Amino acid sequence: MANEKGWGPNSVDKRKTLAFGVVGGLAGIYLTPINPIIGPVLAALGAVCAIVWGADAISRVSSYGLGTGVPSIGYMSLAFSLVGALSGVSIAVYLGPHYTWLGPILGFVIAMLVGAIVAGLCLTVLRMKIPILMRCTIELAGAAALSVLGFSAAIAGSYALPNLLHSVIIPGYIALFFILNTMAIQHPFNACLGPNENRTRTLKLAFTTAFMVTGIVGLIAYPFTPAWWVIALVGGIGWYISVSAFIAASKEEAAEVKWTGWWPHDEEEFVQSVKEIKE
Amino acid sequence: MVVDPLYIIGAVAIGGVLIGGGVHFIPVGGAPAAIATATGVGTGTPMLAAGGGMTGLITAAAATTSPLWLVLLAGGAGSALMLGITMLVGNWVYIWGVGCVPSSAKVKYDPITKYEQSKFVTPGTEGHGIPTVCFVSGIIGGLLSGFGGALAYYFLYYGLIGTSGYAIPAGAYVSLGAATLAGTFSLGLFFVNSVIASFNIGGTIEGFHDPKFARLPRGALACIIASAVVGGLGVLLVQGGSF
Repeated sequence: MANEKGWGPNSVDKRKTLAFGVVGGLAGIYLTPINPIIGPVLAALGAVCAIVWGADAISRVSSYGLGTGVPSIGYMSLAFSLVGALSGVSIAVYLGPHYTWLGPILGFVIAMLVGAIVAGLCLTVLRMKIPILMRCTIELAGAAALSVLGFSAAIAGSYALPNLLHSVIIPGYIALFFILNTMAIQHPFNACLGPNENRTRTLKLAFTTAFMVTGIVGLIAYPFTPAWWVIALVGGIGWYISVSAFIAASKEEAAEVKWTGWWPHDEEEFVQSVKEIKE
Repeated sequence: MVVDPLYIIGAVAIGGVLIGGGVHFIPVGGAPAAIATATGVGTGTPMLAAGGGMTGLITAAAATTSPLWLVLLAGGAGSALMLGITMLVGNWVYIWGVGCVPSSAKVKYDPITKYEQSKFVTPGTEGHGIPTVCFVSGIIGGLLSGFGGALAYYFLYYGLIGTSGYAIPAGAYVSLGAATLAGTFSLGLFFVNSVIASFNIGGTIEGFHDPKFARLPRGALACIIASAVVGGLGVLLVQGGSF
């Protein structure tokens, strides 16, 4: 059960998810240029790590009850992180061709800075009383930036702005990532919240949504990278494994799972079916 | 046309305030309205921002090559129309589907139609559906936020096409890259400001007649600072366009 602080006996160590997201996300993005097939797959896997981190961060902050629903803070963080990530990549171009490698890390840092400013505004100007809002918004912003950059690098095969412009921005995929990544980050906790939320189970669902997005990214990457089918395949396999694990965990923690049959056609049948279920 | 970076920051900050302020006018009912126990559209601000914002930006982007006032009007009309349709169809569902009378528990008489409200509010609920005053308020909110989004879109677009990376290709009227980036940026601005406004009003509001509307100045202050920061990122995007 998640307690008021969002890290009850059934929650996972927040340092572990943080390390998983930051190291996995950055490593995946920076390993993109190593190989035209393996690189994009690693970038997509990096984005999966970032999404799982973001899902944990949003679970912690939303355990408090924001009053506006779980998706709101996810959409907000994705919005400024996406802009922040792209402006980081843009500054790297502005600095010169030798500094292209700075792009993703700059985007990551800028997104977290904006996250800190917005969270600070919410705490001071709007007087919200959520002590972990600052930390979690910063984490969410970082995770969102890495997930956007990871999937963009997977499609473009590089994290340099000219490549991203050609294969992510002009086709309009950037707007798609906005919604897809928000869904992947906010859905797990939105679906699993409640008094007996188990964070391990929530994160299994986070892997499921993240791999689902990976599969879609693989399919839409078809015109731009020869690795599209590998990304889609990895996404599909990852989705199958994680969704099986999630369903198994849900069944294990449910009191009972019972098939209730189709809805009855008339009242007699309904009474009969209720009797059967009670027996 | 070369756009000064300060214009971009200013336009985004003003656009952000218009969006954030506009959200205070929109009848957001949240989860209670989804089961018809509160007045307003039965969803949260992010969804309304997505609907109104995207439609407004599509109409604004369709007018890209037009002068500023036409782009602003197009954006405002798109957002207001989308919110109007959402509220109207929502009301059909509330009236003929759920079977309740649109009414508000926040005021005794509707400030516009002067109809009595309390008689029609089911005991234990905060009202139902979208009464006239909420509808009018929502249209004003849609117009304001549409103007805001279109303003940010217009200035960022013209900033971007001044750079070599996003310049208008020979033989084309618009730069697709600049339009997509400016559109996504403005959509992001919609989400940031609508969620900040939503935090300010605690998730639900009925419109300008709601007592929570008095919180508007604080929300506007938070929105203008946050939007100025996001506007700074917009300048960075423009600076990076020269490659």
